[in-house]
Formats: sequence, C-alpha cells, structure tokens
Amino acid sequence: MSTRGRVVIQVNDLHHTYLSGTPLEVKALKGVTMEVYEGEVVGIIGRTGAGKSTIVQHFNGLIRNRERGRVIVDGHDMADPALDVRAIRQKVGLVFQHPEQQLFERLVGDDIAFGPKKMGLPPEVRRERVRWAMEMVGLDFEKFKDRFTFSLSGGEMRKVAIAGVLALQPKVLILDESTTGIDPRGRKELLGRVLNLNREHGVTLVFVSSNMEEVASIADRIYVIDDGRTVMHGSTREVFAQPEALRRYGLGVPHVTTVAHQLSQDGVAIPRVPLTVAEAEEDIWKILSS
Amino acid sequence: MENFEFLRNVTIGQYFQGDSIIHRLDPRAKITILLILVVVNSFILSFTGNVLLLSLCIALVLMSGISFTFMLSGIKPALPLIVIFALMQLFFYGDAYPPYGMESVTYWRWGMMSITNGSIQLVIVTLMRFLEIFFLVSLLTSTTTTTNIAYAIESMLEPFQRLRVPAQEISLIGTIALRFVPIFAEQMEIIMKAQASRGADFGEGGVFQFVKRTRQMVTLIVPLFVDAFRRAEDLILAMDARCYTGGRGRTKIVRFRMRRIDYLFIALTAVFGILIMVFRNNFPV
Repeated sequence: MSTRGRVVIQVNDLHHTYLSGTPLEVKALKGVTMEVYEGEVVGIIGRTGAGKSTIVQHFNGLIRNRERGRVIVDGHDMADPALDVRAIRQKVGLVFQHPEQQLFERLVGDDIAFGPKKMGLPPEVRRERVRWAMEMVGLDFEKFKDRFTFSLSGGEMRKVAIAGVLALQPKVLILDESTTGIDPRGRKELLGRVLNLNREHGVTLVFVSSNMEEVASIADRIYVIDDGRTVMHGSTREVFAQPEALRRYGLGVPHVTTVAHQLSQDGVAIPRVPLTVAEAEEDIWKILSS
Repeated sequence: MENFEFLRNVTIGQYFQGDSIIHRLDPRAKITILLILVVVNSFILSFTGNVLLLSLCIALVLMSGISFTFMLSGIKPALPLIVIFALMQLFFYGDAYPPYGMESVTYWRWGMMSITNGSIQLVIVTLMRFLEIFFLVSLLTSTTTTTNIAYAIESMLEPFQRLRVPAQEISLIGTIALRFVPIFAEQMEIIMKAQASRGADFGEGGVFQFVKRTRQMVTLIVPLFVDAFRRAEDLILAMDARCYTGGRGRTKIVRFRMRRIDYLFIALTAVFGILIMVFRNNFPV
C-alpha cells in the first residue's frame, strides 16, 4: 500500500451529458467524486455503460466539463478554456480499449515516436524515448523498431500502441479496458509491466476494467461507478469484502474471494479477504497448519 | 477548443425513432416523393420556384417532429466547401448564366472576374437547391430505418429484375453503406481521441487551413481504412455463417402495404411537382 502522496487528479461532483441539445442526448455522468494520489494504483469498476470511460476522458481533456462539477488535474482546472490541454495530455497518458487500432505509421519506431515528435523533442531524445517505451512494454528496440507495423501480431501491435503513449513519459497512465481481447498470458505480462512502471518509475496508474481478477491483483484503491455516480470506494480489500453490494451494481468479486466468502460462511475462519490465488493459498495453509 | 462529438455533425444516415406521419409513411412512398422532388429540384432555376420547394421541404421536416436546428447542424462540416463554391460561382460565373426573369446587370468587373446579378442569383439559387436536397435526404434517412429503405429500394427495383437488374444486391450495398456511416463516425471519434491523447492537434488550424488539416487527417485515415477492411471481412464471415447466398427466393417477415395516406402524399407531391414544372418559365423572378 502506498503512503498517500499529493493529489494528482481530483474530481468533484462531475456531471456530463453527451450530445446535449440533440435528440440523441445521453446523461452519462450524474455526480462523480474521486481522487487519485500520486504514485498509487486506482481501479475504476462498473458495469458497461456506467460512465467509466467518460470519467477518464475528462482526466486528459478529451472531454471538457462544461456542466456541474470540477476536475482538477495536476493543479489545473480542466474547465479553464485557456488551459494548455496538450501539456496535460503529456502528463496524463490515456490508453484506450483496442489501442492497436490507432497505429498508422509504416514502421513501429516511427509510430511510437509520433508523440515525442509532436512534443517537438530533438531526434536524439526521441530515439531514447522510443527505446525506453519499447523496453517498458517488452519489445526489443533493435529487433522491432524497423518492423512493419501492420505485419505484427495483435499482441505486439497492442504493445506498440501502449509504447506510443508511454513515449510521452506521462506521470499518470490511464488504461481504459486496455487488456481486453488478448490472451491470459499476454494480459498477465501486460499487467506485470504496467505494475513495474508504477513500482519502479513512480507512474500513477488509473486502471479501468470489468475484469475483477485483474483489478484485484493490481489496484490499491477502487472506485465503483454505477449509472454515472460514485457508489462505493475504498481499499481494494474493503470493496471486495462486500460482494452483496457489488452484486447490486452488476459486478462480482474475484473467484478466489467468492470461495473464501463461502468458506467463512461454512465456518472456516479466514482472517482477511484474499484477493489473489496466492493470498488465498497462504491463508489456507496458515489455517491448515494451525 | 476541440470537439470530438462527431455524431453531432452526422445527420444524414442517422435514424431517429418517432411516430410522426412522415415516420409512418410507407418507405416506398417516401422514396417516390424524394425522387419526384429531386427531379423538380434539378429543373427550377428561379427564385420563386426554389422558395416554394424549400418551403415544402421545411414543412416536411417540421411535420416529422425532428429538431430543425439539429438537422441544420449537419451542414456545418461542409460549410467551408460550400463557401468556396459559392465564391467561385459569384466571381467566375457572371457571364455564363444570364439571370432568370431580370435584365442582366454587371456590378463589377476585373479581368476574368465579374459580379453580375446573374451570378448573385446563381449563388442564392444553388444554396437553396443544396438545402432542399439536404433536407430531403436527411429526412428520408432520419425517419426510415435502413432496413426499410433497403426493402423499399428492392421492391421498387423488382420490376427491373427481368432486365437482369440485381435489385437485391443493389439494395444490400446501399444498406451497408448507409448503416456504416454512423459506425465510422464513432470509430473516427475514438481514433481521433486516441491520437489526441498522444499529441496530435486536431483543434489547430483554422477552418480554411486545408493543408494543415489534411496532414492531421493522415493519422485518422490510415487507422480508419484498416478498420473498414476489418469490418468488411467480419461482415462477409457473418453473412456466410448465416448462409447468405444472394437474394433469390428470399422471403420477408414484414410485408409493407401502401395505404391511402401513402398514395395521397405521392399524389400531392406529384401535383405540386407538375405545377411547378409546367409554370417554371412563368414565374416573375
């Protein structure tokens, strides 16, 4: 658990309506309040259509709040029309679902270098950034930089796309369902890599997912969003200790947590809510050996 | 400030649920009316004729219950192009088109360029004609589902099947094209946001800075094409998986029947069209 640092993102009673004033108007956010502290891993969970993506798009100014509520990112009020949004986007990197769809350059290295180039960095620095970003996602610089982007496998393309965001060297990295659609091993590797970014490089992570196992294994704290509102929040263990409440919002808990709940109900006292298989194993060994 | 809400600007091809009289018309009747009015539109060059036709189009839009201002907002993306065409017509077509119903007057002349009352009339009439077509097509797609439009086209082409016109295929192509407009708008919004997240600047460059804006578009066009091909392949597979073998012998679950109101609408439109066409050379201006 990280000691709480400075608040990097603060959201207060945020409201947002898509296509307001048209027949297709949709009220997506109806009062979201949350904070993200420097250096932590925050999970955002909620059922499809709850408004998770809408929230995180406020964090780097893709959506600017014009309605009720405030979003403060790194000390800047995002509603300020004079704000330099591009500077914010360098600090807050956002990776979408299926990020491989955003690739457009012929060569891998050029695609990753797009962000640094737009920042106006000199070629030498750009090259270093690309090398670093590729290392972070686990692509060998020499081997991959001159490969054709569209000849890569799906998993490799996704790594390239994530590297393209990392090349901006953001302080905050948002992953919006970015692990969906890849195989379990690829997912696990990716999770390990972003966690490494957090632990070794101090990158604050905001992790949006509908996979409870993933969130449980990575997040320090969790916000539960339902129907455009923050409905629950707390440490990962606190939130997953309430399976009934989560079920009400169309969510579950990790399978091992369900098993542990079941065991407690059957009279096996498990001291804490296990979030991963490893934790459960440890707990059960303790009980068995006592 | 950037605005990524693309659907706000795509009014053609977007269906809006409703229960207005226009919604309830038979799709074939709607297409017939559209065709009649498009023919009328291409014949009238006078102020009076266009005012009449534009009024009819606006009346139809109002009857459909679809927000007029919203529909109008669909023109916004095409605005720079419209302005350029209008300017070209204004300055270079001065002598090509004598004004309808007036004595030719030249207001200004410099080399090849000139402004006459003929070119002014041409600009205004062209704008009105553009608006008429725009309203009619938007109205058809916003009050009729794509499946119904496809059904109507197919059923109207049926008589030509003896002449080996592939009615079903044509309507299928049309449906797919229309159906994918909002999908690509949405996809474009996502890709645009993704590129903006890593430093692309779509907001920059004024409306008239074409080169700059076009260069920005490369980062969108490549991913969009890739996506389009992927979707096309998925679609082929999905059709194949459902044993699609072309239209021959296909039956439908919903059969449309033309009602009295449909014939009435067509008849009224036809009368309107014929009157305008007959008297098109008798209007004062």
